[in-house]
Amino acid sequence: MNNHMKPDEAMLIAYCYGEIDDADRSMVEAYLAAHPEEMRRLESWGFVRKAMSRIEDEEVIAPPIIVGQVDKPIWKERYFRMTAGIAAAFLLVMIAARLMGLGVGYSSGELRIGFQLREKPMEENRLTEQQVDQMIKNSLAANNEELQSSWSKERMVLERSVKQNMNQSSEKMDRLLKTASLANDEEVKKFVGQMQRENMKLMKDYLQLSSAGQKQYIEGLLVDFSKYLQEQRKQDLELLQTRMASMEQNTDQIKQETEQILTSLISSNGTSNQLKKSN
Amino acid sequence: MMHTDDLIARAREGDHHAQGRLMQIWYKRIYNFSYRFFYDHDQAMEVAQKTFIAMHRNISLLQEITRFRSWLYTIAVNCCREELRRRKSSRAVSLHEFRPGEGEESYRWEASADRSQDPERKFRQGELADLLQSCLMELSDEQREVLIMKEYEGLKFREIAEALSLSENTVKSRMYYGLEAMKRIMESRKITKETIGYE
Repeated sequence: MNNHMKPDEAMLIAYCYGEIDDADRSMVEAYLAAHPEEMRRLESWGFVRKAMSRIEDEEVIAPPIIVGQVDKPIWKERYFRMTAGIAAAFLLVMIAARLMGLGVGYSSGELRIGFQLREKPMEENRLTEQQVDQMIKNSLAANNEELQSSWSKERMVLERSVKQNMNQSSEKMDRLLKTASLANDEEVKKFVGQMQRENMKLMKDYLQLSSAGQKQYIEGLLVDFSKYLQEQRKQDLELLQTRMASMEQNTDQIKQETEQILTSLISSNGTSNQLKKSN
Repeated sequence: MMHTDDLIARAREGDHHAQGRLMQIWYKRIYNFSYRFFYDHDQAMEVAQKTFIAMHRNISLLQEITRFRSWLYTIAVNCCREELRRRKSSRAVSLHEFRPGEGEESYRWEASADRSQDPERKFRQGELADLLQSCLMELSDEQREVLIMKEYEGLKFREIAEALSLSENTVKSRMYYGLEAMKRIMESRKITKETIGYE
C-alpha cells in the first residue's frame, strides 16, 4: 500500500478543485484509494466548502462614483512641481554660494571650487614685500655689476693712458737728458721743476674729470631707480584702491539682499500671525 | 464571463463610459470580497470605492486584458490591507460591530434583498451565514483572503497567485491549511451536517 507516492498539500488541493493534470490526478486517485483516511480528509473539506457556500452574496448597488478626468491646474502637475522644486533648490544653492562667497575658477589647467576664490587671482597679481625686496636686490646687483664693469673698463683705459703717458714721458726724459747733458745745472733744475708742475696739473685735471663723470653716472642711476620705485608704488596703490572699491560694492549689495530677505520673512510671519489671530 | 475584452480595451483607452460599465459589473464582486474579508459593511464599501477609483486611475497601465480579473483583485487586496492597517492603528469600531441592528435599523436597508423569500427561512439562513462568517473571521488574514478568492470569487489558483504576487504552491498551501483551520473552527462551534442540512 505504501508503494504509492504521497501527493503533497498543493497537489491534494489542486485535485480537490479540479485544477490538476491527468497524470497527477491518476497518482492522487491511486493514493486516495490506498489511503482511506486521506479520502475522509478530502470529504471533510467538501463539508467545509458546502457550509461556506451557505454564506450568500450581499446585494449591493454600486454608488455613483465620479471618476471623470479633473483638469488639474498646471502648478499641481507632478512634472511642474518637480521642475519648480529643482529650480528652487538651485536658486537656494546659488544664493547660499553668493552669500558665502563660493566660487568656481579655472586657471592654468586647474579647476578650483571654494570660498573667496575671486580674491585669489587678485592676490596672485599683488607684489609681496619679499618680492619687492627681491626686485630691489636684483636691481642693485645688476647696478653693481654694471658699475664694476664700467669701473674695470675705465681702469683699463686709465692704465693704458698712464702707460702711454709714461712712455711719452720717458721718451721726453730721454730727449731732455740728452739736452740736459749738454745744458748746465741751473737750466736742468728749471726744466725739471717746470715738467713736474705740468705733470701735477695734468694728473689733477685727469682725476677731477674722472671722479665727476663717475659721480654724474651714479646720480643718474639712483634717480632712475627711485623713479622706477615710485611708479611701482603708484601702481600698487591704484590696484589696492580698485579692490577696496570692489569690496565695498560687494558688501553693499549683500547688505541690500539680506535686508530684502529679512523684510520678506518679517512680513510673511506678520501675515501668518494675523491669520492665526483672526482664526 | 462577466466582462468583455472589448469593454476593458475601451476602458484602458480612457473611455469613461466603459469604465463606468466595468464598475457596475464588478462592484458587487469586489464589495462581497471585502465584506467577507472584514465582515463590515462600511469597510467593504470603503474598499470597493477605493478599488474602483484606483482602477480608473491605473487601468491605462494594464498590460494584458486577459489579466484584468487578477489585476482588479490585486487592487482590492491592497485596499483591504491598507484598510486593515488603518483600522489597527486607529482602533475605530464600526457601529455594525457594536450593534448590528435588525430590520430598518440594520445597514441592510441599503441592500436590495429579494423580499419575496420566506421570512423564516431567510432568518435561519441569515443566522447560519453570520455564524459561518464569524468562523471565517477567525482565520488568519492570509488564509482568509485565499479562501474567499477561491470559494466565493471562483478565481483559479494561478489568478490568486498573480493577485497576491505569490507562487501557486504557496497559494495552494495556504488553501490547504485554511480549510483545515476552518474545519477545526466549525467543529469547535459545533457546526455539523445537521446544522447546515448537508446531504
